Amino acid sequence: MKQDELLGHNFLLSTPRFQRSLWEPSVDVYQGQEGWLVKFDLAGVRLEDLELTVRGCQLCVRGVRRDWKILQGQRAWSIEIAYNEFARTIEMPCGGAIEITSSEYRDGMLLVVICETEAPR
Amino acid sequence: MNVETMSLPVLPLKNTVLFPNLMMPLAVGRDISLRAVEEAADREDKNLLLISQKDPDQEDPVFTDLFHIGTRGVIKKLERSEDRLQLVVHGLERVEAIEAEQEHPFIIARFRSLPPLEDSGAEIDALRQSVLEQASRLFELINPQARQAISRLDRELRDPAQQVYLLASLLTLDLEKEQSLLAAPTRLEALRLMHAFLAHERQVAELRQQIASQAQSEMSRQQREYMLRQQMRAIQDELGERDGERSEIFDLRQRLEETRLPEEAHLEAERELTRLERIPVAAPDYQLTRSYVELLIELPWNKLTDDNLDIVHARRVLDDDHYDLNEVKDRIIEQLAVLKLNPEAKAPILCFVGPPGVGKTSLGQSIARSLGRKFERMSLGGLHDEAELRGHRRTYIGAMPGRIIQAVRRAGVRNPLLMLDEIDKLGRDFRGDPASAMLEILDPAQNNEFRDNYLNLPFDLSRVFFITTANTLDTIPRPLLDRMEVLRLSGYSDEEKLFIARQYLVDRQRRDTGLTAEQLEIPDEVILRVIRRYTREAGVRELERTLGRLCRKVATRFARGETDPVRIDPEDLGQLLGPERFFEEDVRQQMAPGVAAGLAYTATGGQVLYIEAVLLPSSSRELTLTGQLGDVMRESARAALSFIRSQPGRLPLIKENLDMGIHIHVPAGATPKDGPSAGVALATAIASLYIGKPMRSDTAMTGEITLSGLVLPVGGIKEKVLAAHRAGLRRLILPRQNEQDLVDLPPAVREEMEFIFAGHVGEALAAALPDLEEQQSVA
Repeated sequence: MKQDELLGHNFLLSTPRFQRSLWEPSVDVYQGQEGWLVKFDLAGVRLEDLELTVRGCQLCVRGVRRDWKILQGQRAWSIEIAYNEFARTIEMPCGGAIEITSSEYRDGMLLVVICETEAPR
Repeated sequence: MNVETMSLPVLPLKNTVLFPNLMMPLAVGRDISLRAVEEAADREDKNLLLISQKDPDQEDPVFTDLFHIGTRGVIKKLERSEDRLQLVVHGLERVEAIEAEQEHPFIIARFRSLPPLEDSGAEIDALRQSVLEQASRLFELINPQARQAISRLDRELRDPAQQVYLLASLLTLDLEKEQSLLAAPTRLEALRLMHAFLAHERQVAELRQQIASQAQSEMSRQQREYMLRQQMRAIQDELGERDGERSEIFDLRQRLEETRLPEEAHLEAERELTRLERIPVAAPDYQLTRSYVELLIELPWNKLTDDNLDIVHARRVLDDDHYDLNEVKDRIIEQLAVLKLNPEAKAPILCFVGPPGVGKTSLGQSIARSLGRKFERMSLGGLHDEAELRGHRRTYIGAMPGRIIQAVRRAGVRNPLLMLDEIDKLGRDFRGDPASAMLEILDPAQNNEFRDNYLNLPFDLSRVFFITTANTLDTIPRPLLDRMEVLRLSGYSDEEKLFIARQYLVDRQRRDTGLTAEQLEIPDEVILRVIRRYTREAGVRELERTLGRLCRKVATRFARGETDPVRIDPEDLGQLLGPERFFEEDVRQQMAPGVAAGLAYTATGGQVLYIEAVLLPSSSRELTLTGQLGDVMRESARAALSFIRSQPGRLPLIKENLDMGIHIHVPAGATPKDGPSAGVALATAIASLYIGKPMRSDTAMTGEITLSGLVLPVGGIKEKVLAAHRAGLRRLILPRQNEQDLVDLPPAVREEMEFIFAGHVGEALAAALPDLEEQQSVA
C-alpha cells in the first residue's frame, strides 16, 4: 500500500509524507504606516510555551501546543488539530534589520508589531 | 525534550518501520495497539513510540518481541471508524527503547532519544551520489518520471540520512532491511546499506521486467495464433467446409462404432481417430490418417460369405461354363466335400498351369460362382516390387496398402476367391523379391497372421481361396511352387475345340454382334475349317476372335439392308476371312534324309518340330548345333550322335558319311529350346542321315534317350499328341513308359492315332525308317 500510493501519483516531496520539521502555524502579514503587523494563528497555545526571536530581518516563532484533558475518561474519536512542537520563520520583505515593537496574545492569535531599524541595503 | 529517559506508550508495527521526519498512515485494530494510541491521544503532546515487531505474525507481542531501535512519533490525524482507528503519524526522532514499564493492557516503554546522524566526509559524498544515481535508475525502471523527483530530492533534502530514509520508505524493502537502516548509527553506515539494497532491488526489477516482457511476447504469439484460427474458422464457415470436416470425423467415428473390429484394430482406429480430431484439416497428416482409419473400418475383419456347399449345383455351374477340364472340376468338388465335413478347413491354394487361352482365368470365375464366393483377380505379371504386395510403411509419402489387402478390401469379405494371374511372370530386382513375399501370403501356416506394412496389424488370409495361374512352371521358384497344388490344363484337340465353339463361342459372338441363330448359321464343317486352317493354338482365343470376325462380316451385310438368313459354307471362308493361314500340308510330305519330326512342349501348347541334320564335307568330324539350343538339348544331341556311331554293325551306316562333320539345326531359330525330350528325334535324324534314307513322313516322335539307347519317358504327352494330331500326323512313336498318359486324351483323338511304344532307340528307328523295318537287324 505504501509504495502504490507513492508511485501512483503525488510523488515524493509533493506528498505530505515528508515534513521537514514540526507543524507550522498560519501567518498573516500587514504593512501599516508605522511598520508591520504579523499575525500568527496559535489557538490553544499557552503564553509560557511561546518563544519569539528576531535575527536580521527574520522573525521566528516556536513553541509547543499542549492538549489537555477536559472530559473524564474521554476517548479520541477524531483528531485534526496539530499538537506538540511547532516552529515558523518568516522573512520580512523589508530587506533591513527589524525590531519587535510590541506583541500581544489575543483570542488565540499572536499579534506582533515590527518596525525597521535600518534602511534596506 | 531531551530528557535523559522518558516513557511513552508503544504502538507495535507489523512489517514496516517509521523513519524520522516522515509521515505514515496507519490502520490500528489490535487491542494492544488501540489502547496505546488512545493513551497517546490523551497525552498533551500526542506522542507515542513506534517500534517494529521482530515477527510480523505475532498478534499479542510483549516488549521483548520488539526491536530496540524505534521512532518517537506524534499523532497528526486520527479518525475512528467502527472498531478501528485510522491514523497519520509523524516521525520525530530515533529512539532506543530501554525497558518496559508496563506490558498490559498495552506496552509503555522507557526510552532514550538518539542523536541525529551528523558524521561527514568525502566518502559520504561519493556514496550519496552513487546511491542517488542507483535510485534514479531503479525508479526509471518502475516509473519513467521518477528521474526528476530524484534530482529534487537531492536539491531539497541536504541530509544524506534523511535521503536514505525517504528512499527506504519508497522502496518495498524487507522489514529487516528497513530496520537495519533505522538502526544505522552513522550516515556512512546508512548509505552503505542503502547502496547494497538498491543494487539488489535494481536486479530484481530488471528481472521482473524481463519476465513480464517474455510473458507478454508469449501471450501475443498465442493471441496471434488464436486470431488466425478464428479467422480460418470464419473462412471455412463461409465456404461451408468446417461442417464437412467435422461431420467427416463424426461419420468415421459412427462407422467405427457400428463395425465390429478385432480388439487390436479397434484400439488402433480409436487412437488414430482421436489424433485426427486434433490435427487441422490442412495438415498433410490429416489425409494420411483419415485414409488409414477408413481402411481399418472398411477391411472385412469378420465378414464371411457362406459357401454354397451344394455339390450338384457346383458341378452344374462348372460344366455350364467349361467343357472338360475334369481334373480341375473334380478337385473343386472335393474341396466342397471337405468344407461340408469341416467348415473350418483352410482354403486350398491351387495353381493352374497351361497354355494361354485354355480358360484358366474364366475357370477361376466359375469356381467362385459355383462356391458362391466373391471373386477378385489381380495380375502379378511384371510385378517386381515387394511393396506392391505387402504395402509401404505409413511413414512414406503416398504409402498405400499392398495389393492383397486392397483386393480383400474390394471383395468386402474375408474369404473371397483371389486369383493371382501370371505368377510365373513375377519380376525380381533391387526393390525386393515379390516371390519371397508370396511365400508368406500363400503359406496356410503363416497367412492367418499376414502383416501388411501399411496396415501394421495382423490380418487373417487363411480363409482366402487362392488360385494362381501360370503358363509354365519353369520360372516359378521352387519354394513357391512347393506351396501350391499344381493342376494342369492342357490344350484342346480339334474335336474339343469344335465342341467348345458350338457350345459357347458361336453363341457368344453371335450375341455380341447382335445376330440371331436364324440370321446366321455356322455349320460344323465351317468351324472345323476355321480351327484347322485359320488358327493354330492350344487354347481357343484365336478361334473365338476369328468366329467373331465371321459374325461381323455377316452383321455388315444385314446392316447394309440384306434380310435373307445366312448359312456359311466352307467355300465362303476364303472370301470372308481371306486366304487360309495354316495348311495341313504344313506337314512335310517329302522328307529328305536327315530330317526327323519331333514333338515339343511349349508354354503355348505342343508343337511339331522338324529337326534337320546335314553332312558337312570336311575332314574333321565335328558336330555343329544351331537353333538356340540349351545345354541339356546339346548334350542330348551328342549322346544321340555317339549312340548312332557306336552301332556300325547293327545299322547300315554309310562309311563315307561317318567321316564327315555334321550340322544339326532345330527350327524355328529364334525360339530358345531346351530339354531332353528330343533325344529320339535327334537320333532318328542322325541315323537317317548316315543311312542316307528319309524317315516316314506321317510319323512324329518324342522321348529321351540314354547313351546305351534306352528310351526314357517325357512330359507333356497330351499336348504333344494333340499337336501332332492338329498337324495331321497320325503315327506317333512314344516312350513305352508314357503309354499310361494316353488316358488323358480325348477318345476321338486316341482312336484316330497309331501309337508305337519304344523302350529302346532301335525300336524307334525301326518304326521311323521304312527300310530298316525290313532288315530288322537291330536288337
